[in-house]
Amino acid sequence: MIGPGPAAPMTAFGAWRDGIRRVNRAPAVLAGVWVMTILISLPLAAALRGMLRDHLGASLAGDSAAGGVNYDWMQEFTSQASGVGVTFGPAVLGFAAVLDNLSGFLDNTAEPIVIAFAGATYLGLWVFVAGGIIDRFARERRTRAQGFFAASGVFFFRFLRLGALMGLAYGLLLRYLHPWLFTIVYPRITNDLTVERTAFLIRVAFYGVFAVGLAACNVLFDYAKVRAVVEDRRSMLGATAAAARFIVRNLPAAGGLYLINVILFAIVLAAYALVAPGAGGGGLSIWFAFSIGQAYVLARLWVKLVFWASETALFQGRLGHAGYVAAPIPVWPESPMAEAIGSRVPESYVASDFSRTTGQSG
Amino acid sequence: MLRVQFFLPGALLLASIASAQPAATGALSPPRSPRNASYSIEARLDPAARTITGSELIVWRNITAKTVDDLQFHLYWNAWRDDRSTWMREASLGGAVYRNRVEQDRGRMDVTSVILVNTGPAAQPATPAGAPDRTDITSTRRFLAPDDGNRDDQTVMAVSLPRPVAPGGSVTVEVKWTAHVPRTYARTGAIGNFFFIAQWFPKLGVLQDDGWNCHQFHATTEFFSDYGVYDVRLTVPAGWPLGATGVGQDRRDNADNTSTHRYYQEDVHDFAWTTSPDYLVRTARFEHPSLPPVEMRLLIQPEHAAQAERHFDATRNTLKHYGEWFGAYPYGHITIVDPAYQSEADGMEYPTLFTAGTRWLVVPRNLTPESVTIHEAGHQWWYAMVGSNEFEDGWMDEGLNTFSTARVEAAAYDPNYLALRYFGGFVPYLLRDIVLKRETDRNRLGLYRALPKTDAQSAPSYATFPSRAARNAISYAKTALWLNTLERQIGWPALQRVMSVYFERWRFKHPKPADFFAVVTEVTGQEMGGFFDQVYRSSDTFDYAVQGLSSTAEQGRFRTSVVVRRNGEAILPVDVLVTFADGEKVLEHWSGRDRWKAFTYDRPSRAAAAAVDPGRVLLLDTNYTNNSRTLTPRGPEAATKWSLKWMVWLQDLLLTWAFFA
Repeated sequence: MIGPGPAAPMTAFGAWRDGIRRVNRAPAVLAGVWVMTILISLPLAAALRGMLRDHLGASLAGDSAAGGVNYDWMQEFTSQASGVGVTFGPAVLGFAAVLDNLSGFLDNTAEPIVIAFAGATYLGLWVFVAGGIIDRFARERRTRAQGFFAASGVFFFRFLRLGALMGLAYGLLLRYLHPWLFTIVYPRITNDLTVERTAFLIRVAFYGVFAVGLAACNVLFDYAKVRAVVEDRRSMLGATAAAARFIVRNLPAAGGLYLINVILFAIVLAAYALVAPGAGGGGLSIWFAFSIGQAYVLARLWVKLVFWASETALFQGRLGHAGYVAAPIPVWPESPMAEAIGSRVPESYVASDFSRTTGQSG
Repeated sequence: MLRVQFFLPGALLLASIASAQPAATGALSPPRSPRNASYSIEARLDPAARTITGSELIVWRNITAKTVDDLQFHLYWNAWRDDRSTWMREASLGGAVYRNRVEQDRGRMDVTSVILVNTGPAAQPATPAGAPDRTDITSTRRFLAPDDGNRDDQTVMAVSLPRPVAPGGSVTVEVKWTAHVPRTYARTGAIGNFFFIAQWFPKLGVLQDDGWNCHQFHATTEFFSDYGVYDVRLTVPAGWPLGATGVGQDRRDNADNTSTHRYYQEDVHDFAWTTSPDYLVRTARFEHPSLPPVEMRLLIQPEHAAQAERHFDATRNTLKHYGEWFGAYPYGHITIVDPAYQSEADGMEYPTLFTAGTRWLVVPRNLTPESVTIHEAGHQWWYAMVGSNEFEDGWMDEGLNTFSTARVEAAAYDPNYLALRYFGGFVPYLLRDIVLKRETDRNRLGLYRALPKTDAQSAPSYATFPSRAARNAISYAKTALWLNTLERQIGWPALQRVMSVYFERWRFKHPKPADFFAVVTEVTGQEMGGFFDQVYRSSDTFDYAVQGLSSTAEQGRFRTSVVVRRNGEAILPVDVLVTFADGEKVLEHWSGRDRWKAFTYDRPSRAAAAAVDPGRVLLLDTNYTNNSRTLTPRGPEAATKWSLKWMVWLQDLLLTWAFFA
């Protein structure tokens, strides 16, 4: 033994606490993803606002809609709406929004094309910033905007390649496993059931199977991203295989950590269920309710970042050991010309190489 | 004198209640109906094979002015023999998916014999002396398709009589049949060991002065038949609770591990029954100071046992309010059936028995199971006692009942709230911000708004577009909305008198739409033909609007101009209310006939708002938002508020999708 013995491996709970610390020490990251969320949702909300305003016009229905709920107007609007307008309804009220989306997610319901496009764009932005975020959490120091976006840029195309793998895996789950579970097996199993409670329990079990599949993919690709960033991996297949190896070798810790994060997610939802604003009135209360909503959105984003940060901490704590460092600090951007000068390649070689390439002589 | 005046009405009231005390046997005295189609039925259920073997003795009397030489029967279950029946073709057209079921899940009804029974000249004056005791007329069977000529349809069977039956004459026929119980179609059938058996025996059509009214079975219509006495013996596995139309008389346990239950009821026009080993049986009683008591029997699924009292309470409220508003329920007993999950037998009415419908997870202050319980119990008035022809005038039952249901819900359960269901529909979530209103929500304005022009209500129900949505819009919602409009025009006391007179006059008879309209005119003393032209005989829609409102200062006063417009094709007179900033209100009356009308005012105060139909009398207006205009609109504020709420919903959706990032 040539040095002090290895420290005890990081526990799931330790990684979780470390992850929270890392996220809390990078508020700009949280603010950044919140702004990203706003940027995607605000234009659509503005479009909807225009539709609602046009439909209400100068009607007295606006008074009741501003001061409370005018359910009749709401239904009338939806019956005439198109585009994002068709998604407007009572489900926007308070915690119903969360249930609506969670239920839609688990039941794999289709969204209107404009919402699907917004969702795809949002996912694309996450793919872009994922490298910068994990890099920031891995380094545990400020990387500034330059460093953040440099890392984002470095890993964007790698994560796009990883995205192809993810798309394949999630696609299999959504296009094949979910329909198989819920439109083939579930109806077949429950076809002759005469007790709703039993059917519900079967459905919950199927949700569980589907969720386990999703979680397995999710944890695999999370660690693939972490290993890609921390170890500066180019091959996303290699990163995914390495992630799988890490998870298998540290299954209790990786699984436990994921479970703790899921519980944290559930706690955030439960807390929002208690404070989610209902219809409310007009004036300042509109903005108060919106603020509570944004606090919830920030909490959701924070949880998502804690997932990544704690997984990064676990990986670094388990495999990275004390002396482990991530990739060298990138010097970026570095122009090709600067690199050519820096390499001090003999001039004759450059010239001959140029002539070979172009077929011209000097 | 005063004491006498007080005593006499009280004594009369008590005497009338006493005379109306229902017999526990299913007998009603004196007879309430003509009892011209009475059935004695014996049937045996084989649950394993899902078959019913039955025999019925029908005593039918011709109460029309027409002589007939045939009998026409409904064989409803033949609608599900194959995909070529009119019912299946229409169901497919309407978007329902029933095709390609396995043979075991289809239904059928095969009549094996029809025997004319000679009960003697005393009972059957048309029977000549020396006529045989039994005449087999099975060979004269033939299928008819009076509505669409579909040769593949076997839901109407005719048999020829050897001797015509003159007015006042009667015949007795014995019919034997076998039937296969389907997986549920039209709330009839089986799943597992749950059986709900309706429209299950060969049933005579209704002879009218213009001939037999015996329509084929259609995908979105219900039923029509004559009143009579039903004496039914049903053999089912021993130990299986059974519920049926009428009152259980006795039960005989057989050697083959079956039991035969006898049910009896007078003055009903149909008979349905159900059995399942899973039922829990609960009983309760309805009592009221001025209405006859009613024994309530509930057959409930074990997983809903905790909701038993909610079913009873809803039924009590129906018996109370319908009884007080329209007339007493005379049968003295009612059976509430909570059907099994996925049985698709929920929400259906039969004489003295109905199916409710609930979910395993329910929330308080949301009317599951009350809403469907009230509605189906309420059918005892507008379907069971007032014998409307639901093949042709479905609205006379469903519409009147939707309106009545909404009234009971409001009277007994307000406030109640919207609940959304998630996770495959299993999990309810109550939205306490959205209080459901009788006038719009309970009368189902949303359903009507979706398909207001699908058909005129005056079109025969069997000939309207065969989708459930279209039927809901026109038969249920539109009627409820125009009845509520009528209520707002003439007041509830007047409309309540209309409906109670109509009920009193037409119970145990077969009214037509004109009969209802005549009662409206008679009771209100108003000629309502124009109203019914618009709401009943037309598919035009109402849409009145305030097109413009301006108020400009001129020499210290304000010149206000209001332009109202009729955007829809339908016409009804409406009020126009102009409100000024100083609180003054000016109410105008507009015939609503022209496409637009302008009102101008010269006032010391500027206008605040204008509204056409400000009291929302015309509930059929499909676009009420444009009915008003204000000079201080809060629409932009409302738009901001609701778009921000939607934005949080969208952000949550995006974050949910971000799981995949």
